[in-house]
Amino acid sequence: MTGGRGLRAVLWAIVLFDLALLALPTLVIVAASFNGGKIIAFPPEQLSLAWYRVLLERQAFSDALWRSLWVALVCTVISLPAGTLAALALARYRLRQATVLQIYLLLPFILPLIVSGIGLMLIFGRLGMLGQLWPVGLAACIINLPFMIWAVGASVNHLDPDLEHAAANCGAGPIAAFWTVTLPAVLPGVLTGGLLMFILALNEFIVSLLLVDARIVTLPVLMYNSIRSIITPDLAALSVVYIVIAAAAIWLLDRLVGLEIFLKAK
Amino acid sequence: MAALAGRLGAAVPYILLAPALLLVSSLALSLVLITEDSLHLLDRATFRLGEAYSLGNYALLLERPVYWRIIGKTMLAGVIVTAVTVALAIPYAYLMVRTERPAVRKLLLISLFLPFFLGQVIRAYGWLIILGKQGLLNAGLSTLGLPSVALIYTFPGVLIGLVQYMLPFAILLLAPAFTAVPAELELASMGLGGRPWATFRHVVLPLARPGWVAAGIVVFTLTLTDFAMPEIMGGGANDFIANAIYDGYFQLGDAGQGGALAILLCLLGTLAVALVFTGIGVGTLGYARYEPAATAEPAP
Repeated sequence: MTGGRGLRAVLWAIVLFDLALLALPTLVIVAASFNGGKIIAFPPEQLSLAWYRVLLERQAFSDALWRSLWVALVCTVISLPAGTLAALALARYRLRQATVLQIYLLLPFILPLIVSGIGLMLIFGRLGMLGQLWPVGLAACIINLPFMIWAVGASVNHLDPDLEHAAANCGAGPIAAFWTVTLPAVLPGVLTGGLLMFILALNEFIVSLLLVDARIVTLPVLMYNSIRSIITPDLAALSVVYIVIAAAAIWLLDRLVGLEIFLKAK
Repeated sequence: MAALAGRLGAAVPYILLAPALLLVSSLALSLVLITEDSLHLLDRATFRLGEAYSLGNYALLLERPVYWRIIGKTMLAGVIVTAVTVALAIPYAYLMVRTERPAVRKLLLISLFLPFFLGQVIRAYGWLIILGKQGLLNAGLSTLGLPSVALIYTFPGVLIGLVQYMLPFAILLLAPAFTAVPAELELASMGLGGRPWATFRHVVLPLARPGWVAAGIVVFTLTLTDFAMPEIMGGGANDFIANAIYDGYFQLGDAGQGGALAILLCLLGTLAVALVFTGIGVGTLGYARYEPAATAEPAP
């Protein structure tokens, strides 16, 4: 079985390389955030929490962070009903143009983000919606909506249609049946989708870049504007906030549905 | 749902779909608006788009070598990043699915999701710290007495950033495909004398085809249309098509030229996807598959 060991060894070697590649930017950012010096140096001159104090003191940073959180919230609140209902409709009904509808609903993934962003900028501009923050959340919802439909669609298969029939037979009205039978059955998918939409909107960059002006920059846009001129360590502490949020989201996802759900065969 | 259907009949699924369709329709409208802009030449006197319809913007795209260079560079990046990313993702997804130790599986999952949940700007920032002239990489090289390398603001630097960004997407699309390959088949192949390498190449990989096709198509189109990595890691000298579109709108102030390039990018991406979809099918990219057995008929 030397061949077997050889194959495993090669595969694991690649996986170790992958792990290093995946982790490297995150680890470096965390290390840089505790660096005391004015420029990022390796090895760090001295350990310090100075950049975290800057984070608390600099109004522009905390403002941008709150804006991004607000955008993510708007995106999630719109996505939850729109994506859930669409996924149920696609999975549970005989639709005459099912394929056409599916492809149409994949439009956010088919169009390049730069094109969607410019298009939404043109539309929002004509509607006089630019310069406000909530359209950025709406845009984040539009460009990522397939993720939400996908997540709910994957959990619709757990739903036994007979349960809904049973609810109806027991006298539950359509709305009651939805809240007490349908929704709880697909809840893991709804929560997964909602979490994904929140995180994606929090990190959304190019569409935000096109929709915001200098007064309402979101955090990724603020970071982009900053690193274009000079690569400073203050952004490292700011990035660590995002890393902590990402870690919390993963923990939550694992508790709610288990990360292993993403390994399931369709 | 079934009960709802009973009361409102055939309209119900369309009512349920309406919000999503309305949201997505804004993108269809976007395409119309951008196409319309692309059909008007910029009037240099007023810096507004002219009234007359013209294909001049598309002709300009073909005439200017700079656009050919940008398109060529973007396609080249798409091919390299796709090949490298899928090659790196296959072992990761395969071992993550096949490992018998739940702790290892969990570790691989967490290592995959942490960068997946961080946007491109943050990851690019990390890479700038690593690849910078006095960055981690060169600090390491100089302690070893080796000459420093200049990867920051270069094409290879952009590729490194893109591969790292695409890797989680590719792994997540591959994993379900490997799960669908029964482990018994591998044992059977080896029981019949197939060497592990041959089994992996001739049994596992062909059966996992929907996975690597989906991963390949997603990574290729995401690379083809990427803006952030070439913008941040390329330092202005390694523009992709998306960056040229942005410059068309905001540096040249020419929505016609930018629009034409945007439509061209859509066509390139759609062409690539269409080729794969017609040849191989939607694969693991479709929504929850339509299964007649699971369909709720309207309650009598």
